[in-house]
Amino acid sequence: MAYNKPIPRKGQHNQPFWDGAKEGKLMLPRCTLCGKVHWYPRLICPSCHSTDLEWIEGSGEGRLHTFAVQHRAFGGWAEEVPYVTAYIDLNEGDRMMTVLRGVDPNKPEDIKIGAKVKVEFDQADDDTHIPFWRVVEE
Amino acid sequence: MAAINLSMGAAIVGAAESNEIGYPEERGEKVTSLQHHIQAIKNVSEYTGIPISDIEGIFSTGWSVELAEHLGIRPHYIDTTSVGGCSFEIHVHHALAAIASGIIDVAVVSHGEAGWSYRGAGGGGGGRGEMSPGAEMTMAYGTFGAPSQYAHAMVRHMHQYGSTVEDFAHISVVTREWAQKNPRALMFTDASQAEVKLGERTPNPFGGPITVQDVLDARIIAWPLTLFHCCLVTDHGGAVIVARPEIARSLRTNPVWIAGAGESMAHQNMLEMDDFTATSAARSSAIAYEMAGLGPQDMDMALIYDSFTVTAAITAEMLGLAPRGQGCRLWKDGDAAPGGRLPINTNGGGLSFNHSGMYGMQLLVEAYRQLSGTAEDGINGIEGKQTDSHTCVVNGTGGTLSTTGTLVLVSDD
Ligand SMILES: [Zn+2]
Repeated sequence: MAYNKPIPRKGQHNQPFWDGAKEGKLMLPRCTLCGKVHWYPRLICPSCHSTDLEWIEGSGEGRLHTFAVQHRAFGGWAEEVPYVTAYIDLNEGDRMMTVLRGVDPNKPEDIKIGAKVKVEFDQADDDTHIPFWRVVEE
Repeated sequence: MAAINLSMGAAIVGAAESNEIGYPEERGEKVTSLQHHIQAIKNVSEYTGIPISDIEGIFSTGWSVELAEHLGIRPHYIDTTSVGGCSFEIHVHHALAAIASGIIDVAVVSHGEAGWSYRGAGGGGGGRGEMSPGAEMTMAYGTFGAPSQYAHAMVRHMHQYGSTVEDFAHISVVTREWAQKNPRALMFTDASQAEVKLGERTPNPFGGPITVQDVLDARIIAWPLTLFHCCLVTDHGGAVIVARPEIARSLRTNPVWIAGAGESMAHQNMLEMDDFTATSAARSSAIAYEMAGLGPQDMDMALIYDSFTVTAAITAEMLGLAPRGQGCRLWKDGDAAPGGRLPINTNGGGLSFNHSGMYGMQLLVEAYRQLSGTAEDGINGIEGKQTDSHTCVVNGTGGTLSTTGTLVLVSDD
């Protein structure tokens, strides 16, 4: 079945991320001056304001920072309620948003903040492999 | 940086709403946002006795030029700050600065938002042809509107401080209790109270008091938020006039003095929210308290943006009214309730009074009503007021727990 949910918009500032995603790599922007990884991709380092940025391959691992269970949705997502949305603390620093897998949306009290998560990619179209995160065993 | 202390450099000299707030559409009347603006400005002009032609500064969320043209005035101070629901507290801050520095004597801050009648009509941020790079990286993940995002903050608060859904539910219950004292509140009454004087209003069958259990049992929107943790969606217009002290003292209305004002921001995208249990209200209120020479312990009451219960709880903590993690206790222990130590959201709040999308003007109108003693008579115990407050901290929150504006307001004794 064709992917029927919103597909992220792309631009020069984030193209290396989507190129990496096609190969199953989680590419992250890093500042060459201060060395900090930031998410989302930007035109300038938000820590030291250098514009000398590079891309590194991330570990694809992180921890669950917080979550919510969505019961009201539209478009393609409406078919999937309830589902868990979440913010992920990347091992490399900073935070990503996702729809979280490997958890039961009907038992939110069982979802553990701090749980270990790993990234996986779903192909949405020829140019877009969207990262999703899954709770995994320690 | 040595700044001029703006404290008491201007006063809010009057506040008014548009003629029909809530769901005017249900009475067969579709009121536009522009109508709400113009009605509110006309009403506040008549209330204060300040002619519209005396307005020198105009403050609104993007409407200022349209409004000035419509009113046939040519202000020489123009502000269109549009940063969500806190814009109006920020407008008052800016008006204070413009007046205290001698640029203008009289400013109007105006709000008109047919949030219900024109729901789904689009508007928010469209047409720029560009998307925030942060939003590009979250648009894939199935969040829809404010509740879907704010729920993440509530879960983090529960994790970090051990607060419970029940704790937050007390905020809905107490705020609904306040709404029972305000006939203008959408949730003022239910059909069984139809004998209560309502003017021409239709009794609201969904109004009336609620319990914690009602909040828990309400339709789930985004766990842990049920419908009753979420604000209303209504129509509203309102305006306040801010004026130089000499003018404020010469009017027939009671002035409410701007003792302190501050604004701050944290992020545009929730993705960039460092601490999901904190907002920039800690900074905006620190600035406002310092300007006022007053602190949270000096506040008789508080008006706190309650787009969601979690917004109110976290903001109460940021304003120093409760310890970190303990915001809900103000409501749970009865401090915030009618007759309590620190009345909060005496109009019934965004949860039960009115919330048009941006709720900051409703806060200003209520602050003026309470501190000037001009709330409707005969319903509040204390004539003209729900409380006997002389000091009030007002805090607006815009975006997704993003921008904030804080005012410390005081009345003459
Ligand atoms: Zn840097």
